[in-house]
Amino acid sequence: MTARLRVDPVACDGIGQCALVAPDVVVLDRWGYPVVPEGPLRAGDVAAARRAVVSCPRKALWVEEHARDERAVRPGADAVGRTRS
Amino acid sequence: MRPGEAAAWAPASGTTPRWPALFPAPQPVPEPAPGPVAHGTRPRQGGVLLHDVRWPLTDEETARAYGGGAYGEPEPRLQGDGLGEHFADLGARPSALGWAAGEALLAAVDAAGLSGHGGAHVPVAVKWRAARQAHSPLTVVANGAESEPLSVKDATLLRQRPHLVLDGLALAAEALDAGRVVVWLHGADGVTRRVVQAAVAERRAAGEPGPLVEVVSGPSHYLAGESSAIAAGLDGRPALPTVRRPAAPGAPRTLVHNVETLARLALLARGLPSMDTVLVTVVGPGGRHVSEVDRGSSLVDVLHRGGWPWGEPPAGVLLGGFGGAWAAWADLQRATVDEHSLRAAGLSLGAGILAPLPAGVCPVAETAAIATYLASMSARQCGPCLFGLPAVASSVRRLADSSAPRGERRRLAADLRTIAGRGACHHPDGAVRLVGSLLTVFGEHVEHHARGRRCSGVRMLPVPETP
Repeated sequence: MTARLRVDPVACDGIGQCALVAPDVVVLDRWGYPVVPEGPLRAGDVAAARRAVVSCPRKALWVEEHARDERAVRPGADAVGRTRS
Repeated sequence: MRPGEAAAWAPASGTTPRWPALFPAPQPVPEPAPGPVAHGTRPRQGGVLLHDVRWPLTDEETARAYGGGAYGEPEPRLQGDGLGEHFADLGARPSALGWAAGEALLAAVDAAGLSGHGGAHVPVAVKWRAARQAHSPLTVVANGAESEPLSVKDATLLRQRPHLVLDGLALAAEALDAGRVVVWLHGADGVTRRVVQAAVAERRAAGEPGPLVEVVSGPSHYLAGESSAIAAGLDGRPALPTVRRPAAPGAPRTLVHNVETLARLALLARGLPSMDTVLVTVVGPGGRHVSEVDRGSSLVDVLHRGGWPWGEPPAGVLLGGFGGAWAAWADLQRATVDEHSLRAAGLSLGAGILAPLPAGVCPVAETAAIATYLASMSARQCGPCLFGLPAVASSVRRLADSSAPRGERRRLAADLRTIAGRGACHHPDGAVRLVGSLLTVFGEHVEHHARGRRCSGVRMLPVPETP
């Protein structure tokens, strides 16, 4: 199993509680919004990531778990008018 | 997308010199272009999507010249392809009803390598495979709400070939067993809405088999064509981008295809050539020129066909529109409009937009104007976009004014890295890509500005005035 910490930037209001309870996993950008690791969490960081999830007053964070090697499937994912390189 | 109000566009005159000012001599224009949309010489061959059309440079000019709002057009020119002509040209639409027919169409789509023409170029087969594995209620959308003010190829296609797009939409809906089928349009594009509504009514009156199609006018903001915004809008929520959070099993799904993608699907399902051309909008001195060009065409030829003057080469070309990237002219001379080969060179046409930058025009000033516009078009939902894009735009403006403090470029680069990938949609990523390409492609010119030296500061591109 691998786990990733994800943020919903629409729900996030930049309160910063996540960085307070999980400073090794979440850092804040210069506007106060969380920057989370892009790749899978290190095993030792999962507990901290879950603390961040629980601490968020906006419920803007979640931990996404999937079996190793399984690519995240996003049905209907479409960035209309946007390429992502 | 176009801002809703025609008044939001930059005035035609004023501090910004007009395109033709740089080209005082009459320029050769390869195709006669009588008006923004003339339907007199409708294409007749099977595999052809549309004939060349030249639109005014901005929607404001279109509205002034032809009335009827930002996408105006004189009424007599309204009629697209009639259903009778359409079927006479191409034959009846095949059916994709039932699992086996859907599977066969999916295999054909996969074999042809059909990918999205809204800008992201996602393979259609990838979307379809995922959609056919799920069972919750599905809405299939034909997206005609172009997300770039420089692009008019989707509006042109919908007006000239509404039935081709509706064929493709019906095929996708049948293959994916969709419960709801929608044509989604930009809120300001009333003319296209009337064309599509008339085509839908014509099909119903003729008893043409296929799903019931809703024609929905979205909002008029820049993000009106973003797929998650469309899904939210069709679900009765504000049409703003959202994040795909873990969905409950059985949650409704929305699958969005660009209208050009669907038109190609309608050709492909009939066994006609569907992949050997590309629809492009070339922004040149004479306006926004929409044409259908061969996939193997050189970029140089495409620019000339779009009215780009022969003679002095441009300093660079903006590929993919405001959320695209600058490309150096030296890198484009042997390039073709084929997306695969462009990607191999780290480039992309996005939704088929080419905007050449004339020599003598300041790329930093152009980028500052575009970045300012993009910052103003944020949905203001996500912190990195809401605060990051104005910060980036200010940095580029300071560079353009040659008033940047020491370390401005370093701070700008750091901001770009911070913002990338952190919005609900890819709007901030587009701005990051554009400004990043300025720093790499026009590095010397940026350096000149960073040292406080002045340059002409001339701007040419029709960037909408920030509201």
